[in-house]
Order: sequence, then C-alpha cells, then structure tokens
Amino acid sequence: MSAAEERREPGVKEATIVPPPPGSIADKFQQALPEVEFVAHQGLLDVVLTVARDDIPRLMRTAKDDPRLAFDYLRCLSGVDQMEQGLEVVYNLYSFKHAHNVTIKTVLPADDPQVPTVTTVWNGALWHEREAHEMFGIVFQGHPDLRPLLLEEDLGYHPLLKSHPLAEIEESQEDFLRGEALAPTAVAAGAPPAPVDERAAKIALAQKKAEVMKKAREEARAKGLSPEDEKAFVQEALKSLEEGK
Amino acid sequence: MTIERELETIDVSFNVGPQHPATHGVFRMVLTVDGEVVVELEPVIGYLHRGAEKLSENCDYRQAIGFQDRTEYLSQFNAELCYVIAVEKLMGLEVPERAEYIRVILTELNRIASHLMFMGAFSADLGVFGTLFMYAFRERERMQDLFEEISGDRMMYSYFRVGGLAWDVPEDFVERTRWVVQQVRQGIADIDGLLTKNEVLLARTRGIGVMNAEQSIDWGFSGPMLRAAGVRHDLRRAEPYSIYDRLEFDIPVGENGDVYDRYIVRLEEMRQSVRIVEQCLDQMPKDGPIVAPGLKRVLRPPAGEVYMRTENPRGEYGIYLVSKGTDKPYRLKIRSPSFCHLAALRNMVVGHYVADAVIILGSVDIVLCEVDR
Repeated sequence: MSAAEERREPGVKEATIVPPPPGSIADKFQQALPEVEFVAHQGLLDVVLTVARDDIPRLMRTAKDDPRLAFDYLRCLSGVDQMEQGLEVVYNLYSFKHAHNVTIKTVLPADDPQVPTVTTVWNGALWHEREAHEMFGIVFQGHPDLRPLLLEEDLGYHPLLKSHPLAEIEESQEDFLRGEALAPTAVAAGAPPAPVDERAAKIALAQKKAEVMKKAREEARAKGLSPEDEKAFVQEALKSLEEGK
Repeated sequence: MTIERELETIDVSFNVGPQHPATHGVFRMVLTVDGEVVVELEPVIGYLHRGAEKLSENCDYRQAIGFQDRTEYLSQFNAELCYVIAVEKLMGLEVPERAEYIRVILTELNRIASHLMFMGAFSADLGVFGTLFMYAFRERERMQDLFEEISGDRMMYSYFRVGGLAWDVPEDFVERTRWVVQQVRQGIADIDGLLTKNEVLLARTRGIGVMNAEQSIDWGFSGPMLRAAGVRHDLRRAEPYSIYDRLEFDIPVGENGDVYDRYIVRLEEMRQSVRIVEQCLDQMPKDGPIVAPGLKRVLRPPAGEVYMRTENPRGEYGIYLVSKGTDKPYRLKIRSPSFCHLAALRNMVVGHYVADAVIILGSVDIVLCEVDR
C-alpha cells in the first residue's frame, strides 16, 4: 500500500462501550454502595466506573474500608483534559487482598475544576494530586499542600492543558523577559502583503497576558492580599483582558 | 545513662543537592537536623522536568517510544515494553512469538543491568567505594555491549516497536547471550560474596529506613521496595503480560522492610532474571517473523484508553494512554515507581542520622529522570 493510500485511511474509529460482565467489580460496588449512582463499562484491562465528583469521598472511603472491595492501593491518579467535556480525574485502584482492579473516573467542569481530595484515604495520593494540580489546575479540596511539585512557582499556566501550546509560549516568555518586542518585519514597498503570521499573533497575545499578570500581581501584593486572593485577582485581570478584546 | 543538657541546641536546616553525588541525579532534600539526627526532610524534585508527557502527546505513536528511553534511563527496555504493550492493547495486536521472547530476554537482562547499577552506587553510598563498583560495572558493561550491538545505541535503544521489534537480532544472539548470562551469574556470586556478609553493610543497613507492609501499600510502593516489606507481589506473576505466564521464577521477599532487605531482594531478583533469560533462550523459536503482519506505517489505534503496568526494576511502571483514534496519543501519563517512593522519603528518614539519610535514599534506587519526567 502506498503512503498516499495510508493517509486516506479513515482515522477516527468509535470506541465500543461494553457493559461489564455480571459478577464483576461493578456489582460489588453496587452492593456496597447502593445509593451511589455510577456508569460502569468494561475497559481493555479493568472495569471503569464513572461517578459524580460529589460522591468521590464516600465512594473512595468505602472502596478502601469495605471488606468486599478492600482497595488498599492507589496505583495511579491522572488528569485528562477532555476539552469541551471538561477535565477528567482518573483513579486506578488495586486490592492486594482480592487481587482485583478498578478504574474510577470523574468529570469536572472546566470552569470549576474542583474535586475532594483522596489523600485522607491513601497517602500515596499526596504527590499525584499535587502534580495533577499544577499540570491541569485541578483543585483538590482538602489537600494539605498544593504547592507546585515539578514546575516552578508562579508559572501562571497549566502546561498539560490542551489549550496550552507546546513551544511558542516558552519562546515568547524568553522574549518577554529580554524585553524584546517582536516587531513585524518591514515589508518592501510593492511586495505582496505577507500572510497572517499566526505564530507572531500567538506570541503577542502571550506577551500581553504575561504583562497583565505581572501588573495584577504587583497590584495585589501592594494591597497586601493573601495568596488565594492574589490568585483570584490575577485571574480576574486575565478575564477582563479576554473579554475586552 | 542520662546526659545532662548544659547547652541548648537549635535545629539547623540545610540543602543536600541539587548537585550532590549522594542524590543520584539532580535532586534536593532540605534536611533539618538536631545535632546528627534528622528531624525534618523535604524532598524537592522537578529539576529534570522536561515535559515528556506533553511532548509525547505531540508526536506520533512510534516517535513517543524514544521518550520512554529518556524517562527511564537505567531500564530502557522495560519502559519501552510497557509503552508498546499499552499501544498493542489499544490496537488489539498479537505479537509474534519470537519477538515476545527477544523482548523478555532483553527486558530481563536490562533488569539485571539496572540492579547492578544499584549495587555499584549503593556500595559507594555505604563507603565501600571501589572494588564493588568496578565489579558491578564490569558485568553491566558486557550487557551494554550486547544491547549496543543489537539496537545500535548504548543507552537510548528505541528497539521495541508497536507489534514487535525494529529489526532482527544478530545471528549469534543466542550464543552471545548465553555467554553473557554465564559471566553475569559469576558476577552476581562475586558481589554476593563481597557485600552480603560485609560488616559495614550489616552494621549500617539493618533496621534503617523501615517501612512495614501496611505503610508501603498505603504510600503506593511497588517492586523491590514493596517486596522487602514482605509483600509477595510481582506484576509478572500477579497480572502476567507478554510470555511471563510460561516462565518459572521465584519472587524473593524480605522480612523487615529495611535497607538491608531491599538489597537482598534485588540481589536475589538478579538470579531470578538469569533463570528467566536461560529459559527463554531454550524455548525461543529459531526463526520467524518479528513484527505483527499487516501493520500500517502510521499507527491509528481506535479510540479508547488503557492503564498498562509492568514490573520494572524499580517497581510498577504504568502508562495511562488515551487514544482518540488519531495518529498521536491524546494523553500519556507515566506512573513512575520512584516518584511514589520519593513521596515517602520523609517518613523513612526522619529519626535517623544524616549519614543514614544518604543510604536510605540510595536504597530507594531512584532514577530522577523518571521522577521528573
């Protein structure tokens, strides 16, 4: 098959939703927590349960304490940016007692990404949640220490969000720090108009944002606001910038 | 005996790292000490954060294999294996038998090489630098040569492919590997004889940095760290992947969950890996395909998600992979075992002497590139 034919191949194939077989871990959850609603489906390796975020503390506590479930091990905690569908938090659990697995998922609205912490259930969640916080901006309510873990302080953006471009913004920050405005290159008279440079536009926007943030932060500090209020203040300034344009 | 306190002591905080030989990479711990005793420790990571997850989301499925080498630079084959299996699960691919055997042989040799690195570095931490480091590296070098011959690179192999291998192994692969394994078996015996009953090792490692089974599970420990605490759990046995269900091996466990047990477990694991490699060499098909048939050049796994986990030298290495049916991973999260172990470093170190903090950190066998990703 030629390369061109390969490219023509229809790319997106829809995932098939398969309900879990009877007697699976989903039924055990149903027995242990009859009042909690969830959607279950069979994943490739594990059963996946999708629950509302308000049910997370109750569900996780029961998952660990109920002897039928006994999920004593938090394997992994990941954030996923599903764009229009909001942010997802995915918990992979394992039970040493029964040697069974489950994946628990909850979806958070992108404009209010808050979810109760599970650090009270597993200590292992401490760093995983810190990482998801800095990478996606998910706020884990009740987490004792949400300082940045892998990234620097005051970064001002969440790099693993799909809205964050890969390289341009870093370059533009360097330019901004150097104080170099990227002036559009002079066009010789009579030459055809240059195509719209998307990259330059992106950079200009990022520079503007960084400027607004810096100013807002200084203002907030001058007012003596607490770190949370300062953050809110900066967000407010950014919002007004976006609305203004 | 009571000592009358005449002088008031104050707690002093200081940095160990980021550039410090005892931190095994770029890692900082803020130690607060009362005299010689550590009263508080804060691990500071992120110095090697390169955004491997974000980068993987911006290249196609084949290119992302390279980032696995750069994430786990001491057991690259293990990390590659986890990633390629994750993609194969999404695509529902069957890998040819010969490729499976070669993968397992290389993965287990890599496990031995990684543990040898631990032995060398750990003995240097203990203060018996020199002989043992050289012994360990002599053996490791034999394997590095083999890997280089097969993959073309000493460190960044990128040899495993989704559906199989990049190319076939050299003709004398079986004989070469048998020779290497034979040498390594002797090397392990040498290390055992030099270190296991060593007075320095015994005095400095027993009862140090203890984590019991319950704590280890709660903090998300895995691999030798978990087995040292007495939990007989190995993903190769608990959730067999590849061809591990056909192979015989024991799972060594410790009793006390201290630094000494972690050393013993790793030493024994090397012997088990040698056993696995020898079985694979006996069972391996002489020839046959090494890549699944009918693979497209550009991979587009159907939409879906999988959390694949494999037993790496450091513990449970996990890849959470989300596909949207395009040629790029939509989300790739790396669950790194060292990351989970480091989170509990404070609990292991506080109450011990400063000198022990270095040994406890050494016993975790961290790879900072894997922690920071």
